[in-house]
Amino acid sequence: MLVTTIINGLVLGGTYALLAMGLTIQYGIARIMNLAYGETIIAAAFLAFVLNSTLGVAPLVSLLVAAPAGFALSYLIYGLMLHPLVKRSKGRASLEVDSILATFGLLFVIQGVMLVFFGGNYISYTYMNFGIDILGSSVAANRLTALILALVLGGGLYLLLTRTLWGTALRAVSVAPQSAPLVGIDADRAARFAFALGGALATCGGVVISMYQTFTASSGVIFTMKALIVVILGGVGNLAGALSAGLLLGLVETLVATYVSPGLTLAAVYFIFLGVLLWRPSGLFGRAR
Amino acid sequence: MLDVARLSVSYGKHVALTDVSIRVATGEAVVILGANGAGKSSLLKAIAGLVQPAPGAGVALDDKPLTGIPAHEVLEAGIALVPEGRGIFGDLTVSENLDLGAYAHRARKEAPRNRDLVYQLFPRLVERRHQRVATMSGGEQQMVAIGRALMSAPRLLMLDEPSLGLAPVMVGELFSALKQIRHAGMALLIVEQSVRKSLDLADRGYVLEAGRMVGNGTAASLREDPVVQRAFLGMAADA
Ligand SMILES: Nc1ncnc2c1ncn2[C@@H]1O[C@H](COP(=O)(O)OP(=O)(O)O)[C@@H](O)[C@H]1O
Ligand SMILES: [Mg+2]
Repeated sequence: MLVTTIINGLVLGGTYALLAMGLTIQYGIARIMNLAYGETIIAAAFLAFVLNSTLGVAPLVSLLVAAPAGFALSYLIYGLMLHPLVKRSKGRASLEVDSILATFGLLFVIQGVMLVFFGGNYISYTYMNFGIDILGSSVAANRLTALILALVLGGGLYLLLTRTLWGTALRAVSVAPQSAPLVGIDADRAARFAFALGGALATCGGVVISMYQTFTASSGVIFTMKALIVVILGGVGNLAGALSAGLLLGLVETLVATYVSPGLTLAAVYFIFLGVLLWRPSGLFGRAR
Repeated sequence: MLDVARLSVSYGKHVALTDVSIRVATGEAVVILGANGAGKSSLLKAIAGLVQPAPGAGVALDDKPLTGIPAHEVLEAGIALVPEGRGIFGDLTVSENLDLGAYAHRARKEAPRNRDLVYQLFPRLVERRHQRVATMSGGEQQMVAIGRALMSAPRLLMLDEPSLGLAPVMVGELFSALKQIRHAGMALLIVEQSVRKSLDLADRGYVLEAGRMVGNGTAASLREDPVVQRAFLGMAADA
């Protein structure tokens, strides 16, 4: 029982971590607070659902479509809708307000389209729905796959950002955007790529979620919120922090739901969130790194 | 090599530079003198592409026009700026800062060789290479800033008050490093408060006052100029 709970907690936590990394990249590097982030996630979950139920495509294969599509669409959205805001903004604060308003609108557009196509019902499909024995407890194979995917994608992104010159350049933009041009970095282009990369992570997260959870056209807001909480818990812009805070949040939610009461999971999440805001406002894991 | 003609810069209604023209020849060291607010930083920033000059200005490096080109492309053309306040990436390590110095395409191939040169110039950075630069002293941060600029293999290195806020020992170390850079044949354009030290380093200099060029000459003649002596070298008019 405990082993199953912990693994389920890690699965959920791994997913949160993945989602939070995308959001923290968009916010930390591109400086866009993307309120439509959760809708990107859900759109990808629907994509995996449709591909699976009409063509029998496995979600692992859907990732190969979802990731590039998330990247390309986010790239376009940044270019068409957000770049004009960036260009006319006078400072970080005004860009923050503008981008929140603009992506708030985008949230309803994407959600509306999904509602038209899929209605408001809960959606799920079955994939790898059998148990695997781990230390004497049975864990659903789809959850285990989701955990492995989240760790591989999250770990890969972490290595990309910390071990390559390109990734170091992205982190430099997040640390000191005004200094980036001094070393020949086109900060504008870096922001566009970072936003697109964050979008690709969101769509990967959406496919992963669809493997083991039910969702509806209007679940996006919850995921944006959870991702945002994880980002703040981990310290804005802190990738390793997002990873650890995501895993922690998933574990807490699952443990509370199993051993206390499913009705108290959200309360527990906000309790931790409030505590961190009050006592460690820069996040559990401190400054961006 | 560097040719700046009729450069004017305004911030809204405030005019910071009016019709300034300067030249730096290949391998030459040139110093810009001027009181606080004279427009020295604005001049370097306009050359670097960080602020837009008024229409009619001409900035060129070896006949390659640079006017109106974004800062990251100016660096790619071969002009590096160490700005006032250093502009380093505080949350990144020394070696990450240096790696990024060679981010420009022009610098990638030669990066390993240039890194060796930077570590030779500033041996102190070798043992600190995995340290976050925000945790280092002002002098060490300035070494990172200069090292990072050198990593881009510039033809012209511009420095905006590199000795500002440094301990006297550090200022000495800084100028001996600049001398080595100069002897290696790199052109320098430097704005400095330590006027005596920078005139020792430079071949020529310009004097800016309230956004206008009011004088220029060889380092030796500027050292003897009564106006320069009174304003910057702390000498009485009749001394
Ligand atoms: N970003 C800015 N906005 C408005 N005014 C500025 C700005 N930067 C500099 N100035 C003004 O332009 C003039 C020249 O400044 P600056 O180039 O920094 O001089 P210096 O480097 O010689 O001290 C000063 O009067 C300064 O107040
Ligand atoms: Mg200045």
